[in-house]
Amino acid sequence: MTIQQLINGISLGSVYALIAVGFALIFNILKFSNFSHGGLMSVTAYIGYIAAIVLMNYIDSLPLFMATLVAAALGGGLLALVVERVAFRRLRSNNSPVIYYFISSITMGILLENILTIFASSNFYSYPPFLPAAVINFGKFTIAIPDLLMLFFSTSSLGILLFVLHKTKIGLAIRTMSFDINTAKLMGMDPNAVVAATFFASGVLGGISGVFLGINYTLYPQLGQMIVKGFVASVIGGLGSITGALIGAVLLGVLEIFLIGSVGAGWAPVFVFIIMLVFLLLRPRGIAGVVVQEKA
Amino acid sequence: MEYILSTLTFTGISLIGVLGVYLVTGLTGLFSFGQAAFLAIGAYVSAVLVKNFAVSLPLAAIIAMLTGLLAGLVVGVPTVRLRRDYISLVTFGFGEAIIATLNNSTNITGGATGLSGVPQYTNFWVVLVTVIICLAIVIGYKHSKYGRQCLALRSDELAAKAMGINVERLKLITFLIASVMTSFAGVLYVFYTSYVEPGAFGWVVSAEWTIIVFVGGINSLTGAVAASILLTGLPEMLRFASEWRIIIYCVIVLLIINFRPTGIFGENELSLRRIKQFIRKGAKAA
Repeated sequence: MTIQQLINGISLGSVYALIAVGFALIFNILKFSNFSHGGLMSVTAYIGYIAAIVLMNYIDSLPLFMATLVAAALGGGLLALVVERVAFRRLRSNNSPVIYYFISSITMGILLENILTIFASSNFYSYPPFLPAAVINFGKFTIAIPDLLMLFFSTSSLGILLFVLHKTKIGLAIRTMSFDINTAKLMGMDPNAVVAATFFASGVLGGISGVFLGINYTLYPQLGQMIVKGFVASVIGGLGSITGALIGAVLLGVLEIFLIGSVGAGWAPVFVFIIMLVFLLLRPRGIAGVVVQEKA
Repeated sequence: MEYILSTLTFTGISLIGVLGVYLVTGLTGLFSFGQAAFLAIGAYVSAVLVKNFAVSLPLAAIIAMLTGLLAGLVVGVPTVRLRRDYISLVTFGFGEAIIATLNNSTNITGGATGLSGVPQYTNFWVVLVTVIICLAIVIGYKHSKYGRQCLALRSDELAAKAMGINVERLKLITFLIASVMTSFAGVLYVFYTSYVEPGAFGWVVSAEWTIIVFVGGINSLTGAVAASILLTGLPEMLRFASEWRIIIYCVIVLLIINFRPTGIFGENELSLRRIKQFIRKGAKAA
């Protein structure tokens, strides 16, 4: 593995980290795998695209890029609130079993994707080039500027998230709720507000990752199926741990770039699957090693 | 007539898939998003054997089912010990990996363009008989010791374990039965259409099967059968625009989950006794 591959891998991994953390946040608090996150990412990729096209006439390069990110992030956050309201609020008040959350989130994901398919009619779009596709040289190695930007923006948004989680009151509330939702309720906390805040945060992350995915690949309604990468990263890192998801995502990014270099892009998913299986056999708790108990 | 028969045949084939999902999801409460990959395994293994190696059809079908069993073991053994979420994640990855493999081994499977020119051996009646046999197996399983253990496991895994049920073995057995059944459906599929491509087996197909089980009612086999006839057969016949069809599915499922979590049929099953009861009630009322 060369240093160059490592650099590319980390930059890919940072995008995966955004996906994985957005997914882990919800897992932490409601204890189910939120498949609707994928549909949300597809929608926000389109929101970002529309924002970019509209704003292109007024601003360009870096401000345009940032404006696009903000639009997609806000769109994602609001959409996540809607998703929570439609798909999960009633389930929570009914005390439904986890299976129902599950099926509800998958359905929501497929629904969002197919609404997009109808309106975008499966056409492929691509983002306007925000920045000249230049590269920066570090001695022998090169980094493309878009990659560098993605790395910068994803690490800083993850940094902000970690700050919010650990240093603010709402962050404390979210962590309390993920620890034990019933006790938190008894202490007089409003679960609806905290869950909504968590969904908003996860939607913001989903929005940013949607834009990055749209830039990295082309824009199509099934873009959100990249959520698989977030899942795999969470499995490697350990479900229910945010740091685990981060580590898993970067590892996965590096691994994928390496596999693409050695066995080709087509076979990479097969090997990633095998690695995931081996991981589950040897260390089912993932790297972070948090044991998530099935609640009786 | 030809058209109706072919629609019914496809409905029958997907009904077998739905029955597999019913075993895994409805009875045991696990989620498999790679169930369609077993369809792919059955279809490709048998088609390649018959077409390229001139193996006889029954032997090819048996090998296809064994391959499905093997794949089920590979996926099942590491995952049954873990939380249920993992099963859905792993089966999901498994499905995608199978599709990637099919897409890439161009010299054997024809890659993304698919495999064509498979002789047509199956017809509606073969499918019908298979559906009836599978239905019998599933009904038998549901009412056997294992089926009841599955129900216990679904509602509370910890309690089931405490009652001495070997939860892991039970999950694995159920998963394997579903795998083999779905693989056989794949054999039927390829020898009916005489053409397969990897794109037909994506996770959306698996998710659609799961949705069908839910719409019918997770506790009711009758519900699953009725829902799959309703949701796959009718739209085909009425020529719905396929994209709107999925949206309608999704809205129905969201409504059901939110307002009638037990599904259309709830716990009810169609049986002779029930019909008699129903008629008697009607007679009294009249």
